[in-house]
Amino acid sequence: MWLVRPAESGDLKAILDLAGGTGPRLSSTLPRKEDALAEKIAFSKQSFEGTIPSDESPRFLFVLEDTASNLVRGVAGIDARAGHGQPFYNYRKDALVHASHEMGVSRRVEVLYPSHALTDQTLLCAFTIDPALKNTEAFELLSRSRLLFMASNRHLFTDRTVVEIQGVQTESGEVPFWDSLGRHFFNMDFEAADQHSWALSKTFIAELMPPNPIYVTLLTPEAQDALGKAHEKTRATHELLQREGFCAGNYLDIFDAGPVLEARTDSLKTIVASHAAALHGTPSEDGEPCLISGGEHVEFRCTVSSMTETLTGDAKVPVKAWHTLGLDAGDTVRVVPL
Amino acid sequence: MLLIRPLQENDLEALYAMAQSAGKGLTTLPADRGLLAKKIRHARDAFDQRCAPEAALYLFALEDTELKQCVGISGIQARVGLDEVFYNYRLSVTVNASRELGVHVRTPTLHLSNDMTDTSEICSLLLSDSHRGGGNGLLLSRCRFMFMDHFRKHFSEKVFAEMRGVSDKDGRSPLWDALGRKFFDMEFTQADTLSGLGNKSFIAELMPKFPIYLPMLPDEARAVIGRVHDNTAPALKMLQAEGFNFNGMVDIFDGGPVVEAFVHNVRTIRDSMDRIVMIRSKTAEQKQALAGEHESEPEIMVCNGSFQDFRVTTVPASWVSLDTVSLSETIADALGVSAGDRVRLAPLKEAVAGATKYGRKNKHAGIRGH
Repeated sequence: MWLVRPAESGDLKAILDLAGGTGPRLSSTLPRKEDALAEKIAFSKQSFEGTIPSDESPRFLFVLEDTASNLVRGVAGIDARAGHGQPFYNYRKDALVHASHEMGVSRRVEVLYPSHALTDQTLLCAFTIDPALKNTEAFELLSRSRLLFMASNRHLFTDRTVVEIQGVQTESGEVPFWDSLGRHFFNMDFEAADQHSWALSKTFIAELMPPNPIYVTLLTPEAQDALGKAHEKTRATHELLQREGFCAGNYLDIFDAGPVLEARTDSLKTIVASHAAALHGTPSEDGEPCLISGGEHVEFRCTVSSMTETLTGDAKVPVKAWHTLGLDAGDTVRVVPL
Repeated sequence: MLLIRPLQENDLEALYAMAQSAGKGLTTLPADRGLLAKKIRHARDAFDQRCAPEAALYLFALEDTELKQCVGISGIQARVGLDEVFYNYRLSVTVNASRELGVHVRTPTLHLSNDMTDTSEICSLLLSDSHRGGGNGLLLSRCRFMFMDHFRKHFSEKVFAEMRGVSDKDGRSPLWDALGRKFFDMEFTQADTLSGLGNKSFIAELMPKFPIYLPMLPDEARAVIGRVHDNTAPALKMLQAEGFNFNGMVDIFDGGPVVEAFVHNVRTIRDSMDRIVMIRSKTAEQKQALAGEHESEPEIMVCNGSFQDFRVTTVPASWVSLDTVSLSETIADALGVSAGDRVRLAPLKEAVAGATKYGRKNKHAGIRGH
């Protein structure tokens, strides 16, 4: 069975493989250095345990495990507060109308404004999965289990949730938006900047990013085309998030101009549709495939299983799934149809 | 004789002919009789003090007294940016540095600015093709500094000139194509003409207000920022010799540089000195003319110091002595001065190293005619 659970220190190697294995960057928020990643896992563990210092905000990291082989096949995260105490950078695409009454000219001028407006909003991040699992229920489980966790621990998260989607990158690894803008100021490759953005404090962005708004018309045509466009490889993630109710707004990634999806946390499909139920057994594997989560803190588990629901609101789930979740009859679970 | 005097109504036809042959490069003087007549009236008001000193546009005519015709003009705008808004880009540097990463990047940046507001501008220099060379352009240009020197309180402490930027023979400007066109939706010549006519409100409405980072512009556009058009190179050289320097401002359309100087530091003004007029006898003059004596002598500008009827012409350096200048009757008449009047002199051309300075030459050469 498929299981999503909090990442542990023993998952380090597996996560490192996943982070490095998706080619140049599939996730900007997963460091590829062992010590940095170990730190992130340790912080996640503390976040689940509720033992982080009071002035820090929790960052959760989940892994997708195949219980048959005990192999970790995916990883996903939630930052309760984007920026994590530091500014969270985006470009906001806005428009000015330059009009001259006298000349009869009216021209829409698009401008990218540096913005920190999304700082402190809850951020879904670090989604990385074995490419072989694309379009499977495991893919959906890994992504949506985070929303079940949020539903069960709603007080930890903000009213709005955002997700950054990777932007356009060519086969040879070139990022047109970066080449037209960021490169001039950061004096480094996209790859280097992207890794720094996780590994170092974000101070370097404040130091190197051009402080003034950017006129879109002065970008190269390739960079203009890339604004707000998601990378081909992210289509499945993108579509899934859209079904959840996430929409692309006016915010873009500062490095690759990928879209930032936004939603009202309480309107997300999984959060609206999920509900608590008491766990009960059934010998039959009939029923609707559902996401079932349970357990508190580090005990949080989520799996996908068939389920039938009784009129009294009990969830009848095959016992096999109980074991996966580490729960017993009568325990409360949160369920949502797949 | 070539004589500088205020531009007059009857110079209109000559001015129109010059504007026509100048083509599109000179946007402040379009070949349009109505507009030119308006300019002349404006200048007349300035010399007759019928307008506020700040609003004055002084236009000087270079008259060939034999042809009795205006063969060139030049101007001073007492203050720019008073009723319209005067725009430039300031070329400055943005430095982004990260100690943590060991990165230190300098980004040249254009900031839209109105910094030249309330400053005096020299402008509108135009010389008929038939009279090019022989220092006529210098006279047209430098007479303005003599005027400013006499009437300093009418002008700002600094004086500047906008130099024409780079464009090709079809009037295409690389900076305009990379920047202005993207916001203005018109050709460079059209925008330039509109702005030259004083229709500047469209600039405020359409111009990008945020700084422009130069690395985002193509190389051809970056290369012309602060550079002058080939035809303007001699004018730039002349102003540099007067002590004008690039002040970091460039034209918002073609990227041509703004050069400026403090009025008191302008070479013509620093090197000027006052002399008392003496009138030369006709015979001495004829003798000298026959001998062709002052052909190769340095020329000295002589100016009458009148506001309403300002006049400047040139005389040979040998006419100047320690405290006097001896003028022929014709020249004295043309300047409207008589014996005993005080006139101000300045060399037409900058002193070449090693050459004798005017005035002193006579001292050592002994007595000559007086």
